Amino acid sequence: MVNACKPKNEAPNIVFEEEVLNRVDNGHLGHKNLSDYGFFTGFLVDLVPAKNVHPYELNTPLFSDYAQKKRFIYLPEGSIIEYHPTEVFDFPVGTVLIKNFYYDDAQLINQKGRIIETRLLIKKAREWQALPYIWNSEQTDAILEITGGAQEISLLGKKLIHYQIPNMGQCKGCHQRNGTLQPIGPTARQLNRNHLDDGGKSINQLRRLSRLGLLSVSEKEAFPKFSVWNDPKTGSLDERARAYLEMNCAHCHRKEGPAKNSGLYLMSTSNSRHALGIMKAPVAAGSGSGQLAYDIVPGQPEASILLHRMNSTEPAVMMPELGRKMIHKEGVALIRSWIASLE
Amino acid sequence: MKVQKRFNNLNSFIKYGFLMVILGTLLGCEGVPSHDPDRNYKSIEKALLSKLMLAKDSTVIQLEEGHFIFKSSLILDNKKHFTLRGRGMDKTVLSFKIQENGAEGLKITNSENIILEDFTIEDAVGDNIKITDTKGITIRRIKSAWTGEISKKNGAYALYPVICENVLIEACEVLGASDAGIYVGQSKNVIIRNNKVYWNVAGIESENSENVSIYNNQAYNNTGGILVFDLPGLTRYGRKIKVYDNEVYDNNLFNFAPPGNIVGAVPSGTGIMVLATREVEIYNNKLKNNNTIEVAAVSYALIDAMSDQKSQENKDPGSSAQIFEEGLNKDLEYDPYPGAIYIHDNTYGEVSWLPNLSNDFGKLFLWKFGFDRPQIIWDGMVPENYLLSNGSLNPDYKICIQEVGVKTAILDAANDFEGLVTDPESFNCEI
Repeated sequence: MVNACKPKNEAPNIVFEEEVLNRVDNGHLGHKNLSDYGFFTGFLVDLVPAKNVHPYELNTPLFSDYAQKKRFIYLPEGSIIEYHPTEVFDFPVGTVLIKNFYYDDAQLINQKGRIIETRLLIKKAREWQALPYIWNSEQTDAILEITGGAQEISLLGKKLIHYQIPNMGQCKGCHQRNGTLQPIGPTARQLNRNHLDDGGKSINQLRRLSRLGLLSVSEKEAFPKFSVWNDPKTGSLDERARAYLEMNCAHCHRKEGPAKNSGLYLMSTSNSRHALGIMKAPVAAGSGSGQLAYDIVPGQPEASILLHRMNSTEPAVMMPELGRKMIHKEGVALIRSWIASLE
Repeated sequence: MKVQKRFNNLNSFIKYGFLMVILGTLLGCEGVPSHDPDRNYKSIEKALLSKLMLAKDSTVIQLEEGHFIFKSSLILDNKKHFTLRGRGMDKTVLSFKIQENGAEGLKITNSENIILEDFTIEDAVGDNIKITDTKGITIRRIKSAWTGEISKKNGAYALYPVICENVLIEACEVLGASDAGIYVGQSKNVIIRNNKVYWNVAGIESENSENVSIYNNQAYNNTGGILVFDLPGLTRYGRKIKVYDNEVYDNNLFNFAPPGNIVGAVPSGTGIMVLATREVEIYNNKLKNNNTIEVAAVSYALIDAMSDQKSQENKDPGSSAQIFEEGLNKDLEYDPYPGAIYIHDNTYGEVSWLPNLSNDFGKLFLWKFGFDRPQIIWDGMVPENYLLSNGSLNPDYKICIQEVGVKTAILDAANDFEGLVTDPESFNCEI
């Protein structure tokens, strides 16, 4: 209401001269180079898993600016994963979850496909440690960079973005439960899907782990299953939308998560309409409210704050707060249809 | 249904308001406060970020003089006995004017005994300083501001501890927040003292917090000076709040909260407002020239309806009553009515002859009271058990006022103000 009066924001005068950083020894955090861990054999860029390193995929992954992800888990020799039907599994000390973010040739304009970053979650004696590694331009290795970084990415059919590699502190912004760092993806319902094994044979990931003696339950266990958010054959609109919301929002928006102060809980197991945001007034949304009154107005996606915040890239408005510079159009479309279907 | 009926009446109250000629809402450029300090920015982002992330417990980080600018939130997690100290307000400046990542300026989580002191923090896209899940947080001599003209585009909260225990905020200067300047939410054991708070929508707000003392502050030129709120569906409820020895004056700033936020419903010209909270004592304050109302006690039903009206002018998601009931049904513990409120020994300035007509309350007061309006009101909305079975007043909902030379009123907002009472005898009690 006031901005027409006088030019408020002239470009600020900034001297971008980094203070000389007294390089703090990161030695206690992890290896300097990704290659030092020995997770892969052959050329690192090919990501061919070494012994005790197992690939996995999720049914409904987090959206990360259309980056593709290759996930692996390293399990120390002789250790097993403690199964849990609803929460993230309990992994043995020494486990490393390895997530590689890349774009392929077809996604990029005037650039060859490349791996951007590799995020490690390392299970220490007490809690998990998150470490971001950034790939060099030669694609020969990735280097630990705890302050993260940014890279220009030009995707076909999209605007140029400054792809953001999170700093170590930001990792825990999402990977957090009851104040401690936790993985998000590897739950039974996310891992319950088929994956091609070494011989190119399709096999259920959980059964495979169980057969290899790496999971604490038998392969006959009745594993719960998430829908694949964009595959109607795998679940109803409601199931797919709830899976999407859990993976993209509920790491914070759950009773044990960092956004518990909002009272908005988006786990797929949450069954209170109010806690799900239906006719729930925002608590501390600020300008994120987009002049709307409720998180979700059944049947009215455009009147729903939840959709408005998914459909924005403004830092003060967008949700999730971190991890994307683009709008996930297909995800927004899913949630739009879901809200439209609500009564 | 009772609540439904109340809302029909309330809606007519609000519609009445919209029929009135709107005065005083259009402020020219000259009327908009602006904070324009000289800045020469320098970037130390990676260095400071590394230091914060790698700091061991019992670390003091001393920031030098200078204007430092950041693209991303500064994050401090899981630290004990940590101090971040500058060289003084406006000498050490942390600016987020070019923020691209994260919404907060400084974000502190899961920590114990943290001290922030002697610097300025400004222009975060969301909250300047947000602290969650932390036991022991001291914020001292911090200036937290948004530069330029105040605007709904400013961040929401300037100092924002939420889900914390043992919070001390003192000697700070806070301006420009499009929601609340000093905002303590869902916290326990809180002291807010000796602060200067102006040009915010809400100057100081305690929300769903327990054992809160707000004293010796100056809250002026905000939309509302000091708010004590309780909202449903959160992690805890508020009670045991003391507001005393504050100077609360000239809180007549236009409401620039982004619609959809509950403070958007706070009328410009509010001194102290208690919303749906119990065990609140307000005393020894100097209240002056808050030109809608000096002190108000209201129920969640009233503010929710007003908030809904404001943000849904073109949309009809269902009646307010349904929504209100839906919200309450999900939080059976929540009590939407204020009670056990004791207002005493405050001093009040002269009442201006014309109320603030930018809001429905001001218009209502002009309509009902002419040029002699009350300084203290209660909306008069009550729960079913307001009267106990023996006919006596339920002490949980008592509102007691002991003031000299002050006009008070019960609005009876639920019944179209038909039962409006001036200087009711029921206020004549002590707690």
